[in-house]
Amino acid sequence: MSYTLITLAINGLVWGLIIALIALGLSVIFGLLDIINLAHGDFFMIGTVVAWTVLTSTGSFWPAFALAPLVGFVLGAIIQRIVLQPIRNAAALSIVATFGLSMILQEVVRMTFGPTPRRILPPVPGTIDLFGIQYEIYRLFAACVSLAALAAFFLFLHRTKLGTWMRAVRHDRDTATAMGVPAQRVYMVTFGLGFALAALGGVVASPITTVDFRAGVDILPFCFMAVIIGGLGNLPGTAAAAVLLAFLEGIISSFASPTVARITSLVLMSVVLLLRPQGLFKGLTK
Amino acid sequence: MNEAAKPPILRIDGLTKHFGGLTAVDGVTLEFAPGRLHAVIGPNGAGKTTLFNLISGFLPSDEGRVFFAGQEITRLAPHKISRLGISRTLQVKSVFNQLSVADNLWITAQAKRGVWNPFRRTASYRESCEKVERVLEQLDLTALADRQAGTLSHGDIALLEIGMAIAAEPKLLLLDEPICGMSPAETARTVTKIRELAQTIDIVLIEHDMEVVFEIADDITVMAQGAILACGSPKEIAADERVREAYLGRPEDEDYVEEAVRA
Amino acid sequence: MLIVSAVFLVAVPWLVPAVADRFWVNVMAEILIWSLLASSVNLLFGYVGLLSFGQALFFGFGMYGVAIGVEKLGLGFWPALGLGVAAPVAMAFVAGIFAVRLTWHYFAIITVVFSLIFYFLALTLKPLTGGDDGISFTLPPAFRFGGAEFGFASETFQYLFILATVALCLYAMRRLLASPLGKAFMAIRDNDVRASLIGLNVYWLRLAAFVMAGFLAGLSGALFAFFGRYASASYMFYHVSGEAVVWTIVGGAGTLLGPLVGTSLFILVREVVSTHWQHHALIVGAVAILIVIYAPRGMVGLWRDLLERWSGGEK
Repeated sequence: MSYTLITLAINGLVWGLIIALIALGLSVIFGLLDIINLAHGDFFMIGTVVAWTVLTSTGSFWPAFALAPLVGFVLGAIIQRIVLQPIRNAAALSIVATFGLSMILQEVVRMTFGPTPRRILPPVPGTIDLFGIQYEIYRLFAACVSLAALAAFFLFLHRTKLGTWMRAVRHDRDTATAMGVPAQRVYMVTFGLGFALAALGGVVASPITTVDFRAGVDILPFCFMAVIIGGLGNLPGTAAAAVLLAFLEGIISSFASPTVARITSLVLMSVVLLLRPQGLFKGLTK
Repeated sequence: MNEAAKPPILRIDGLTKHFGGLTAVDGVTLEFAPGRLHAVIGPNGAGKTTLFNLISGFLPSDEGRVFFAGQEITRLAPHKISRLGISRTLQVKSVFNQLSVADNLWITAQAKRGVWNPFRRTASYRESCEKVERVLEQLDLTALADRQAGTLSHGDIALLEIGMAIAAEPKLLLLDEPICGMSPAETARTVTKIRELAQTIDIVLIEHDMEVVFEIADDITVMAQGAILACGSPKEIAADERVREAYLGRPEDEDYVEEAVRA
Repeated sequence: MLIVSAVFLVAVPWLVPAVADRFWVNVMAEILIWSLLASSVNLLFGYVGLLSFGQALFFGFGMYGVAIGVEKLGLGFWPALGLGVAAPVAMAFVAGIFAVRLTWHYFAIITVVFSLIFYFLALTLKPLTGGDDGISFTLPPAFRFGGAEFGFASETFQYLFILATVALCLYAMRRLLASPLGKAFMAIRDNDVRASLIGLNVYWLRLAAFVMAGFLAGLSGALFAFFGRYASASYMFYHVSGEAVVWTIVGGAGTLLGPLVGTSLFILVREVVSTHWQHHALIVGAVAILIVIYAPRGMVGLWRDLLERWSGGEK
């Protein structure tokens, strides 16, 4: 069934790039704030909901690309300041707080958006001839957008002052503060950025997935897999791991069920956690 | 009693530890004779705590060997080394904060005897309980027995740490800056206790306070930049030029060194 | 205080129907069952310092142990209960061997991963587990005295049995905490470096705690299966584990009754609120966040602080 294999494999690549974006947000939060963010999948879900809302209220999909990350960023910064900052020193409590946050986000969306899943039609319709199959143009577009966003993010990290601050704080909190980096602001920005990245991923993914208040639940484990296998604090590694894992799952799905594919990834993740917790891509650490 | 003929309680042979490009401990070879109070001194970063970490199994050494009472302990896990009879305190005072002072001592006393009983009440373990009482008395901590360890003053936590070190009934006690951050009154009290303890347990002490060191130590080893600079009695060390150089820029230490020479 | 609540709890099957619907007796029974799951989280987190977000895994093993035992293997009540406890304990041992080696961030993550793996496995192995739909079964009786049968079919018996089990577990935990093993656990919680320095084998102690917690979670699942005559993979999802963590922390981690208090609060709120408003999950999330920020020692912790202040507390 090579037809299905190619489709699933490319789907995997496309998804991988989108997940890379989301997982990067998770990795940044994990690496800088030491927080295991159980609400991260729901940040993605918020992005899809924003996309749907923008589409249904303005008739156009494109504003969502700007709006969702913005909403995400603002929400993230506020949440960090109000909820997470007071409990900065109790890491275990932070996890519980993010779990509570996840419940709130899901429920709020369920209340306002409703429990039924909706679908968005791809804003760029049609298919194109690719490797002998008809492939959705939008997916390719999504991949390109993700790639561009990833590139922009890395540029931001390395070329802007804020990005440098973030890297400094991640590397050595105390020295950075001593050198005048406003740690508190960096934390707010980081969480906001993490939310924004996930939300952007949500927008990009919304035409190829369902818009549903539970959409984040499936995404979360996958993001964690990418972060762990790629290596904590290793941002390029996380991105690479996301792509690789999704690609792998895509291929496995072609001859076994998606659930089996997911189990395989999880087992791989366990192995990495146990044998090489710093991740597989250590050499790529910046 | 010919002390020189007794085998050393601790023998270190060419111990080396690198951290990336930095050599924290460089080929240290040292013997600690039993029955004498040893002090290890040196400027910050000389490798003293790293040396303790290597001895107690906290860090694996890159080269060299460690012998405790004739037995090699170089590659053993920390809890095994502890069971063989070496106890240490940590530079950053840390105890079991949510347990009471008495429980801190109790668990230390019981740890090596066996904790794998989920049914018996701790109070029924007479030996450990008696030991806890003794240590509490020895260190004047009886009044604080039921207080949560984390609520104690800095000085009392340091005493508790020493108490825990004793409760483990060690043959060798490694004290890492035991009077760090203490008030003069607390310092005097602790120094007296250490002197008392030294009569029954072998002690190796890391300290920055020169007055204390020259007051109680029988033997002093000076470390600098990971290696041994000098080794000998307080008088010999005080007279050693290299030691003075190492401490240059630390006028308060120089004064003590001067005084010790004149003494 | 304790005596009063104990008496109250025992009298529930007769007391409650006098003032409210019989339905609430079952709610109390459910609270007790879930409180065991919370206790398993509490044992690990409150007393050993390990945060597990995957206790639902052992809950699931217990649940399926009973369900599969009765439905597929034709076991009676006690053998099925035995299986429902043995399976999670075995699983906890195997999982623990690996999980306990990790430092706590990674430990938390791997507990989720393990529970997810088995959740998906349970979904796939439909013939065995009934997947998401689950398995239903008819309940075998627990005791036979002469001609009379006692079993979970009787609400009263069911409630009392569960109450007795939970009480036994809490008593066992209390003994544990006053024992050398319990002190060793707490020492590891407070300072694992120090613990190994005084000669405690941190790895094996953590593993023992993990297995014990697996027992509690598994027992909870087994009782749940008997209670609902039903088992489903959806109960193995990390959301279930997460809720148990919230209940524990809100109730008060590191206290014996904290898990029970927390579980009661949330389930009661759920039952009371959901008749009028279906978005009680919002309350759960909000309370979790508020407690974590303002009362991290949970409700029992708050209560203790109050008591101390009233009695001019010995500090």
